[in-house]
Amino acid sequence: MNNMWGSMAQYNEIYWPWPIAVYLFLAGLSAGAMIVALFLRWKGIELDKISSSSKFDGCFKAAAIIAPITICVGLALLVLDLGKPLSFYWILIKYNFASVMSIGVALLLLYTPLAFIYLLVAFAPQIKASNISILESLSNLVLKSGLVKLMEILLFVLAIGVGVYTGFLLSAISKLPLWDTPVLPILFLVSGFSSGIAASVICGMVFFKDNIDQHVVAGLLKFDLFAIVCEIALLGALFALMFSKGGSSEVVAVQALGSGALAGIFWFGVVGMGLVLPIVIDLTVLKGHAYKPTAILLNTLLVICGVILLRYYIVYAGQIFTGA
Amino acid sequence: MKKYFMIHDENLCIGCQGCSVACRSENNVPSGVYRLQVHAKMTGTFPNLKMDFLRHSCVMCEDSPCVTVCPTGASFKTAEGITLLDHRTCVSCKYCILACPYDARFVEPQTGEIGKCTFCYETRLSKGEQPACVTVCPTDALTFGDLNDENSEVSKIMKEKKVYLPKEEFKTRPQLGMIANRKGGNNE
Repeated sequence: MNNMWGSMAQYNEIYWPWPIAVYLFLAGLSAGAMIVALFLRWKGIELDKISSSSKFDGCFKAAAIIAPITICVGLALLVLDLGKPLSFYWILIKYNFASVMSIGVALLLLYTPLAFIYLLVAFAPQIKASNISILESLSNLVLKSGLVKLMEILLFVLAIGVGVYTGFLLSAISKLPLWDTPVLPILFLVSGFSSGIAASVICGMVFFKDNIDQHVVAGLLKFDLFAIVCEIALLGALFALMFSKGGSSEVVAVQALGSGALAGIFWFGVVGMGLVLPIVIDLTVLKGHAYKPTAILLNTLLVICGVILLRYYIVYAGQIFTGA
Repeated sequence: MKKYFMIHDENLCIGCQGCSVACRSENNVPSGVYRLQVHAKMTGTFPNLKMDFLRHSCVMCEDSPCVTVCPTGASFKTAEGITLLDHRTCVSCKYCILACPYDARFVEPQTGEIGKCTFCYETRLSKGEQPACVTVCPTDALTFGDLNDENSEVSKIMKEKKVYLPKEEFKTRPQLGMIANRKGGNNE
């Protein structure tokens, strides 16, 4: 549009800049790590054996502690990015359940405190050893009252909710073709899960070295490989849908895949570094579930970088390429 | 109940920007941003050129995406169908700006508040007056009134002329309609 008067500047901003992309990454990571923690607990750790002498798997501890920390950092970014950060409390008081953002707030309001309370379960042996009586009695309360199972199921459902809602948050914007797709929620959940696995493995290996079970790491990496393959399929589906829709959707798909720095980020960062390279490493160096710490660390770091770049790419390309 | 409606006749509009200036002064719009602009769009090949003047402002959708996505309910619709913003409960998350297919909302640079056209709801409509842009238009390209009143000017125009609604594909049912320009080289 050729404008003779006024200015178009006010319509061409990036309204949701990088803090939102990082938040979307951290929320997905938190949800993914929580799912990993619950999965490991259900598969291999018995509740009645939790005592000061028991050895929890390092990946479980790492996952349990990643989940609450990352969501808190993410939420802090979210609040700081508001145009009126000091008014943020209104979002906790007033709800509009037609808005995905409100649904997300409600989910997070349950999920975040529960994720912290779950630390009482995951770190029960340490808490017992620490002799801090309040924590100890709280931990015993949670463990002995049988609340754990209920809490875990609730946390599992909430984690999936947190993982998908970030996708629905963007897909609710029907004027932006890259966001207006039903694939986004699933893609965000799967890539969040993938980053959650990667982060749990890294933190487990770095901070809980003594408690690492190599079979658990191998099993997690296998899951991650599966998630990465799913991600490739979902990205394919996302763009295939955009091409088949035609019109402005097709224009945006062509621009987003083919023009400028963002296309570079997509092909080299998201696809090359985050998806293809990890698969290559998995099928070569780590073949047969070999336990090679450097290769595993490299692999998981690549996965995490890929997932960050995927969020960054979707957030920016979605707002820049409008098809108008 | 009243249903306010505005019509912008693109045949009568001369792109003088009187509406835009009136809006700025009526609503103390901060410099650098606009609640209302009229853009000139040139089409055709020389010498068969056509210039259209297109209004760019909130179209007061009946199904407003901005109201749907607003997490705090700060974006809301009045009974008369006007989309307004409660600045007290708005946290400026900018979800509404992203949701609006008409690019009708913006961030006010100094305050971080969300700005938009209100049809001059607080300062004029509530006193029974017409919006500032309508009152100053020198060619009467803007008509404003109650669509539920059969004798109102807008109702008559709706019956007589072909009014189009912008971006109908989004099914937002705007309450700001346009009469398409038929003047210029392309149409002679």
